[in-house]
Amino acid sequence: MPSHSKSSSSSSSSFPSDDNGSDQNPSSTSNLNPPSIDQSLDAIENQLASISMFQPDTLLEPGSEPEHESESESESGVNDEIREELVNGSLNKIEELPEKSARVEVVEEEVEEEKLKASSSRVWTNVSEMEEGEVSPSPSSSGYAGERGSSVTSGIEEDVKDDDDDGNDDEIVDGVTDSQAPWTPGKRHGDEDDASISWRKRKKHFFILSHSGKPIYSRYGDEHKLAGFSATLQAIISFVENGGDRVKLVRAGKHQVVFLVKGPIYLVCISCTEEPYESLRGQLELLYGQMILILTKSVNRCFEKNPKFDMTPLLGGTDAVFSSLIHSFSWNPATFLHAYTCLPLAYATRQAAGAILQDVADSGVLFAILMCRHKVICLVGAQKASLHPDDMLLLSNFVVSSESFRTSESFSPICLPRYNPMAFLYAYVHYLDVDTYLILLTTSSDAFYHLKDCRIRIETVLLKSNVLVEVQKSMLEGGMYVEDLSLDSASRPGTVSPQVSQSRLAIDSTERLRDVFHGVGGPAGLWHFMYCSIYLDQYVSSEFSSPFNSLRQQKRLFRAYQKLYASMHEKAIGPHKTQFRRDENYVLLCWVTQDFELYAAFDPLADKALAIKACNRVCQWVKDVENEIFLLGASPFSW
Amino acid sequence: MGCSSSLPDRNSGRLGGLNPENGGTNDAKNLRVKLVLLGDSGVGKSCIVLRFVRGQFDPTSKVTIGASFLSQTIALQDSTTVKFEIWDTAGQERYAALAPLYYRGAAVAVIVYDITSPESFAKAQYWVKELQKHGSPGIVMALVGNKADLQEKREVSAQDGMEYAEKNGMFFIETSAKTADNINQLFEEIAKRLPRPSPS
Repeated sequence: MPSHSKSSSSSSSSFPSDDNGSDQNPSSTSNLNPPSIDQSLDAIENQLASISMFQPDTLLEPGSEPEHESESESESGVNDEIREELVNGSLNKIEELPEKSARVEVVEEEVEEEKLKASSSRVWTNVSEMEEGEVSPSPSSSGYAGERGSSVTSGIEEDVKDDDDDGNDDEIVDGVTDSQAPWTPGKRHGDEDDASISWRKRKKHFFILSHSGKPIYSRYGDEHKLAGFSATLQAIISFVENGGDRVKLVRAGKHQVVFLVKGPIYLVCISCTEEPYESLRGQLELLYGQMILILTKSVNRCFEKNPKFDMTPLLGGTDAVFSSLIHSFSWNPATFLHAYTCLPLAYATRQAAGAILQDVADSGVLFAILMCRHKVICLVGAQKASLHPDDMLLLSNFVVSSESFRTSESFSPICLPRYNPMAFLYAYVHYLDVDTYLILLTTSSDAFYHLKDCRIRIETVLLKSNVLVEVQKSMLEGGMYVEDLSLDSASRPGTVSPQVSQSRLAIDSTERLRDVFHGVGGPAGLWHFMYCSIYLDQYVSSEFSSPFNSLRQQKRLFRAYQKLYASMHEKAIGPHKTQFRRDENYVLLCWVTQDFELYAAFDPLADKALAIKACNRVCQWVKDVENEIFLLGASPFSW
Repeated sequence: MGCSSSLPDRNSGRLGGLNPENGGTNDAKNLRVKLVLLGDSGVGKSCIVLRFVRGQFDPTSKVTIGASFLSQTIALQDSTTVKFEIWDTAGQERYAALAPLYYRGAAVAVIVYDITSPESFAKAQYWVKELQKHGSPGIVMALVGNKADLQEKREVSAQDGMEYAEKNGMFFIETSAKTADNINQLFEEIAKRLPRPSPS
C-alpha cells in the first residue's frame, strides 16, 4: 500500500493545504518544453529505467492515480518526459538546457502514465521470471520472512527495534515480505552490485562518492563493485556543473534522485519512498555530517593533494554507523525536527544529574552528556558552548551504533560538524548500564585520566541519588500516553506517567483506565502527537499505542509527519500556521507557532472541532509536565 | 575554547600523552605499566585483551573506535604484582595518525599480526619501525602472531615472525585469543621483562 493518499477532505483554517495545488493539469505543461536531458544521462539511462520500472504500486493497483509532489512542479524550470526517454533511450541535445533555470529539475509527467504501466507490468513479469534464476539470494528469501500482522507492540521498543526491513525502503520493491525482524546495524547485501536485480529493486539507496567518481559509501552493495555506477553519478553532477548549473533533483517515475555537493564530496539518494525532496536532502546533509564527525572536514585536503584519492579505507569499520543513521531516517523524528528528546524524569532526578555534570563541566570538560539510547537524560556545556541538536543526533548515533563502546571505556577523536567541522574533539565514552551512557567531550587530547576521574565521580553520585534506577524505570514505563489525556479541563493529568507521579493514588486509576481503553486511543480520536518546543530545541512524542502497534504502522505515521513537516516549512509558499488534513488513514493536524510545533494524528473519522480542542489540551498538558519531559535551564541553542 | 587541533600530524610530536599522573611504576613490589596494542585492523587486538582481562572470546567482530582502556593485574611468582593499563587501539587507517597519543609514554608495546595475513605482518613491521623512531626509550616490545588456531590457513611462518622479532630485539609469541592459547603467557613474559625499579 502506498503510505499516503489524496486527502478525501482537505481544509485549512487559514492556508490552502499543499496537496492539491499544482497537479491539476500536469499534462498541459509537459509538452511545452522540448525534452532537454543532457547526454550524460544517457549512461544512467538503463539503470534508472530498470529501477523505475519495478513499482509495486502501479502493479498492484493499476487503477490508482499517481501522486505528484506539488512543490517541485511549481518550481521546476524543466519539465521532461524523462520516463519515456529512459524507456525509449532517445535523449536530446545538451544545448537545449535552459541557461536561466537556477536549478535543473527533471519532472516526470502523467502523460506517459498509461503507456508505462503497460510496459512496466510487462518488464515486471519478465524480471520475476528471471529472478528465480538469480544466483544471489534475494532478501525476501534470506531469513527474515516475517508474518504480516505480527508486531512488536511495546512502546519502549520503538527506538531500537524499529525495522527498516518492513517492506518499505530496505525491502526490495516487490514487497513480498512484511518483515518484523529486529533491525541490526551494519552493511547488508554487501554481495550485491548494480547488476543485481535485488540491488536495483531496493527502495532507497544512499551513495557517497568523490568528485572524481570514486565510491566512498553505498548503503547496499560493495562500494568497489559500484565504481561504474558511481562514475555515472559523478558524470551527471559534473556535466551540469560545467554548464554553470547545479543538479538537485531528477525524477524518474516514482524515483527521485537527490544530489548534494559538498566540496569534493558528492552525496546521492535514489528513492521511491515518496518522501519530500526537502526531507531527502536533509537526510543527505546528516549523512555528510556523520562523515565529518568521523573524519573532520580536513579530508578535503586529501583531495586537494590527490583528486583521485580513495577515501574508503579512511571510513573502514563505520558501516554500522552509517546504516544506523539511515535507519533512523525512518523512525527518529530528530532527523527532520532538528530537535532532541529527553527521557521523562522527575524534575529533582534530572536536577541531581545536572548538578554533578555541571560540576564536571566547570573542570575543563567542554560538554558532558548523559543519555539513554537516543534520549537525553541531562546535558551540560561549558560556558558559552552550545551543542546543536543535529550534532547530538550524530554523536549519539555514532556511540550507540559502535558496539565497541559497550565493551569498555573508550577515548576517541570525534568532530562535531556544527560546532567546528575542521577540528577534532576527544570523546570519553562509558556505558553506565546497558542503555545509559556518558559522553565527556574535551579539546585536550591527553585529558583521558582526568575524564576517567570525572566519570567515577559522576557514576558515584548517580548511583547514590538513584538516578540510574529512575532511568531504567522510565525506560520501561514510557512517557506520555494519549489515553491519559483528558478533554475536561478541570481534571488535568498532572503527570507524565506513573513513575513520575507525585500522588501514587492517582496511578492505579490511570493504569486501570489505560487497560480498559487500550485500543481506542485518546479522547476525540487522538492517536498520537509530537510536540516540539522551538525555544528549547526539544520535542516530546507520545508513546505508540493502538492502532500503531506494528512497526509498519509506526513508520507510516513517521513518514506522514515528515511530509507534514516539509509542507509546513516549504519556503516558496510557507511558512504555514495550521494544517488539517484527512485521508483514509488519519486526520493529521499541525499547528505551528513561534513557540512550538504540534503534530497530531487522529482517527480518520475524528470531528474537526473536537480534534482542535484535543490539540489545545495536549499543549496544556505538555506545559503542565514540562518539568519532567524537557530539560529546562539548558542554554538555548543559538543556531 | 581553543579547539584548533585537526587531523593530528604524526610528526608534530605535540600530542602529549595518555599517562597516569604518577608515571609508570610505583614500587618494586607493585608495578604499574602502560601497555599499548598496535596492529592492523581485524588481527584480534581487542580479542587478546578481552581474553586476558575478562577471559572472554566474542567471535562477532566489534570494530574498536579510537582506543579502549582496560586494566588487569597479575601476580608473578616472586610475589610482585603488575598492573597493566592497556590501551587497545583501533587498527583502522584513520587512527594511525593518532597512535602517538596512545603509545607515548608506554612502557610496553604489543604489536599484533594475523598469521593468516601477510599484509598484517607487513603492517606490524611498520609499527615496529614507528615505535623505534618515536616510542619511549627502553620500551619493551612484543611481536604477537595471533589466530594460531587457524593453522591450515597460515601464511606467515613462525620462523619469519621469530627472525624478525630477534633482529629487532623483540619478544615473540604466537597466540590464539579464541582458544586462549599463550594469552596469559604473553603477559607473564612481558611482566618478567619489565625493568624493575632499583630498590631504594
